[in-house]
Amino acid sequence: MKLCEECHKEPAAVFLKLAVNNKVTETHLCPACAARKGMGFGLETGAFNISDIVGNMSGYFKDFLPPEKKTLRCRACGLKYSEFKESGRLGCPDCYASFEPQLTELMARIHGSSQHAGRAYAGGASLKLSRAETARRLEELRAELRGAVEREDFESAARLRDAMKALEGGRRG
Amino acid sequence: MGEALKSFRSGIAWANAGGAWPDMVFSTRVRFARNLEGFPFPNRAEPRQLAETRRLALAAARATSLFARGHFLKTEALSALERRFLVERHHISHALAASVLPSGAAVSCDEDLAVMVNEEDHLRLQCLRAGFAIEEAFSSALKLDEALGRELPFAYGARFGFLTACPTNTGTGMRVSCLAHLPALSRLGRMPQVLENLSHLGVTARGIYGEGTVALGDFYQISNATCLGRAEEDFCQNIDRVIRNLIRQEIAAREALLKGPLKLRTEDAVFRALGLLRHARRLSYEEFMQNVSLARMGAAMGWNTGTDLSAFNQVTLQMQPAHIQAAAGKPLGPEERDAFRAERVRAAFGGR
Repeated sequence: MKLCEECHKEPAAVFLKLAVNNKVTETHLCPACAARKGMGFGLETGAFNISDIVGNMSGYFKDFLPPEKKTLRCRACGLKYSEFKESGRLGCPDCYASFEPQLTELMARIHGSSQHAGRAYAGGASLKLSRAETARRLEELRAELRGAVEREDFESAARLRDAMKALEGGRRG
Repeated sequence: MGEALKSFRSGIAWANAGGAWPDMVFSTRVRFARNLEGFPFPNRAEPRQLAETRRLALAAARATSLFARGHFLKTEALSALERRFLVERHHISHALAASVLPSGAAVSCDEDLAVMVNEEDHLRLQCLRAGFAIEEAFSSALKLDEALGRELPFAYGARFGFLTACPTNTGTGMRVSCLAHLPALSRLGRMPQVLENLSHLGVTARGIYGEGTVALGDFYQISNATCLGRAEEDFCQNIDRVIRNLIRQEIAAREALLKGPLKLRTEDAVFRALGLLRHARRLSYEEFMQNVSLARMGAAMGWNTGTDLSAFNQVTLQMQPAHIQAAAGKPLGPEERDAFRAERVRAAFGGR
């Protein structure tokens, strides 16, 4: 009997087989570890989540992601590329732009393609943010604006002012 | 059970035998992973940002009118049993059930549509359908996606498509899955080979072992392994092809079980299982699943099991641990639970 690949103590009771670009990986887990990973005894649970398993398979992303200098990080949320390599999870939508070359390579390996060919999205309504969230964002922009003015980065300052105006407009509307 | 789940009906429409090949495909699910522009993904968001994305997502679900008379749930307001109940009903994931941050779900009145909020992605929306019904599930899920996508700005780029926390979901963000019931292939010991073959077809297969090497209830979930670089319909078609192929193999296996000396053995196994379901005084979930699987196959073979496929499906859902406790109206220890389960199963199968 195979032992669980997580705890190495209990007999494996759940198996999972993944085929990605003809590379077949098998995972064997005991019920307790499987439940922790969201693969319990439910039937077709919304639970089953390939990314939980792939993302948790140690080395999966590390093997697939190109190395990059340590300082690379997302310009929006600050997630370090090295953190992404470790966790397999991105921090925010802007990470895709910040790590585009690396992700292009990763996508080709995971999906066999790095170009979306499904439905295009025309965009939806702008967010009706709560007053508290709007105020918080305005405060952040204000701080950034101060920094930009100090650096004499007037291009950024103009962009930040526009963003603040848009937020304030949304608040009134 | 608390107030939150009182209004959930005991029967579920998508668990009735319906769609194509209901005796081999229990249900079909299509889900989309979506995120909101302007917020970090849930794993990097602060609690107050998650409270905001939840407020926005649930308000958007309400605004679509697809959730009229539906359920709008906040995870922290639910007990452990209620969360487990929702997992068993396929509305939320184990991960969401374990969430300690602001998260929740919207579930439609008929329980065919659901939106999970602040699981790995801001939104995970899904449609469930009875039997083998990829087209129907896809078109309903798409309708839900489009309705929510008008209410909210989804994170999207022309290059990578819909942007998700994990790169395995990027692109269409779509996962199509069928829950296949394959008792004959299992009985003939063909599943290892079948799974081996599936692994080369761009699909993921999941089975759960009970004791030994038999999958719990002989249920296997088959879903697409990738979701970027092709149109949604192409991914659907691939799963469709794979499932049709599986169905052909299961049909052949069922025919083999009815040939020559095997027929008597098969019949014996089916009716022994039915006898056990009708008369047992203690039934663990695992033992129940093993036997209901055989009895269900017997019903599909046209033998008089006294119970139709829809009833088999509903019982299979209702006998899960949290459902049993919900039916009992109080928390039960394992012994009491097995006794209570046996009582309910006897009633469902006309036993004594």
